[in-house]
Amino acid sequence: MARSARWAVTVASVVALVTAACGGDGGRAGRPGAGSEATFPVTLSDDEGASVTLRRPPRRIVTFAPSHTEILFALGLGDRVVGVSGAFDDHPPEAQGIEAVGTASGTEPNVEKVVALEPDLLVTAFIGGEWKDRLRDLGVPVFTTLAAGFDDAVDDIVTLGRLTGARAPARRLAEEMRRRAGAVEQRAQDEGRVTCFLELSDLFTVGPGSLEFDLLERAGCDPVTASADEPYPQWSVEQLVEDDPDVYLASEFGQGIEAVTDRPGIRELRAVREGDVHLVDGDLVSRPGPRLVEGLEALAQALHG
Amino acid sequence: MNRRRGLVLGGLLLALAAAVIVAVGVGTVPIRPWDTLRLVAWKLGLAARPVGVPESTAVILFELRVPRVALGVVVGAALAVSGTLFQALFRNPMADPAIIGVSSGAALGAIAVILATGGALSGGLAVSAAAFAGAVVVAFGVYRLARIGPAVQVATLLLAGIAVASVLSSVITMLMASSGEQIRSIYFWLLGGLQARGWDAVAASGPLVVVGVAVALLEIRDLNLVSLGEERAAQLGLEVERFKRTSLGVGALLAAAAVSVAGVIGFVGLMTPHILRLVVGADHRHLLPASVVAGAILMVLADLAARTIVAPEEIPVGAVTALLGGPFFLYLLRRQRGAVRA
Repeated sequence: MARSARWAVTVASVVALVTAACGGDGGRAGRPGAGSEATFPVTLSDDEGASVTLRRPPRRIVTFAPSHTEILFALGLGDRVVGVSGAFDDHPPEAQGIEAVGTASGTEPNVEKVVALEPDLLVTAFIGGEWKDRLRDLGVPVFTTLAAGFDDAVDDIVTLGRLTGARAPARRLAEEMRRRAGAVEQRAQDEGRVTCFLELSDLFTVGPGSLEFDLLERAGCDPVTASADEPYPQWSVEQLVEDDPDVYLASEFGQGIEAVTDRPGIRELRAVREGDVHLVDGDLVSRPGPRLVEGLEALAQALHG
Repeated sequence: MNRRRGLVLGGLLLALAAAVIVAVGVGTVPIRPWDTLRLVAWKLGLAARPVGVPESTAVILFELRVPRVALGVVVGAALAVSGTLFQALFRNPMADPAIIGVSSGAALGAIAVILATGGALSGGLAVSAAAFAGAVVVAFGVYRLARIGPAVQVATLLLAGIAVASVLSSVITMLMASSGEQIRSIYFWLLGGLQARGWDAVAASGPLVVVGVAVALLEIRDLNLVSLGEERAAQLGLEVERFKRTSLGVGALLAAAAVSVAGVIGFVGLMTPHILRLVVGADHRHLLPASVVAGAILMVLADLAARTIVAPEEIPVGAVTALLGGPFFLYLLRRQRGAVRA
């Protein structure tokens, strides 16, 4: 599990570099003012190096990742989404009624269900999976993006805009996200940096290479987990007590703040004694979608509140 | 011969003391041995509060590391004695605390609470209590299922246990598949671990384990009798049915106490008795006391490895016991070149 995650992140960061080098927001070089009259056919390569060519804008899209459902809705393409992964595709509320294609394991879609929906594109954030080959064999193009940082996530939105013929809305959204992120980073600079720890669950935290780690740094804190070798390691309480971060952040999924603080060692932390413990909406900071900037703002609010 | 066995037990006790000292002294955050000694002396009321030692060091030592090592002793002893009892009772070398569904029952109880509370972080006492209840209910449910007329056939009990355990495992798999965001909490609860449990967990499981081990030690003579076969044991005056009920109950209680605070940790219950049989023989007068100590040693060392190998990251202790325990056990098995007896 850890190995594939690390691999995924490596792939994602390589692709992030490539995307950045191509200039995600400038449109194709040599086509000034291409505008939203999108240029089809379009050929793009995804975070796994797969090349996808679409001759016309996709009309029936299946999303297999809540982030990608959010992105398509934010680009005004909600009515083209004919399938989503499952119960986690809960935003925006209109997405909840859409047919779910995920299997019980949640890590791959039911290929038969996808094919039955007759999609002309499937977009996902899951790296790997033989199901992709099966879908491609059956004529369904599959496009994968997995962001390992804020810029990467914004670039992916622009890329998905180009792929779906929604270039202008994607560029507007990207500009808006960058502007708000810039404001957060400016504020972080003014306020000075603090140290922090973000707990996802059961002392699982984030290390360099994860999306959340990048957000924390942008929001103005230095995570005490900077030495982690993995993007999502389980952390030692001893080390946490030793490092005694200024702010303790916990990803919220309905557990309440006492469940976080009332544990051996944790209850002795300075952040806990001084009330600097904050629950943040895990969906906002972990989904590389349009609301990522809200997650960034929520983190900044918690850190500098 | 008995002298040698006495030496083995003494040696094990010394080894446990050494393991405890090392496990308390070594951890993610380095603490100088001298500071550790001074802090311990202060805590025992033998010296004044040492100056120049940060407050966080005392917290790490007394709130995290010492209870963690203590919990390792409790859990290891409980699993090993439980395994020894089940292997004797079922006269089956494969028997361990998981065999009659105890671990699955505990897991199901814990998962039910994790799902009901929307993903309580591990270490919650509600999760422990539910795990304990699940384990005990399953153990006695299996016993009732296997009961035909006045007697419970050991083979029937074993088969009923295996069947119930696999049914429960399927239920757990299905619950996990549909658990959504809680799957992470469930998954890591199942992997087992002693991280961040603290004195609460020691207080919750310790007394049960002490009582369970004490009862088991009182039953040593009967365990030897039942190893001869039920018929023979009955001829020699053992109330076989009552004995089966008691030892099943004690074994389940011990396993439940361990699983409820530390999750599902494999191999310790299965391996410890086998390793010791190669050293002290199959006589429970020697085997059982040695199991108490050796189980504790194994658990303390496995947990030490789990928290130091990739520090400051942690690896699940269940993975360590399987990874180190499996090959070591195979090595012993090959070296002995003999049959494994229960």
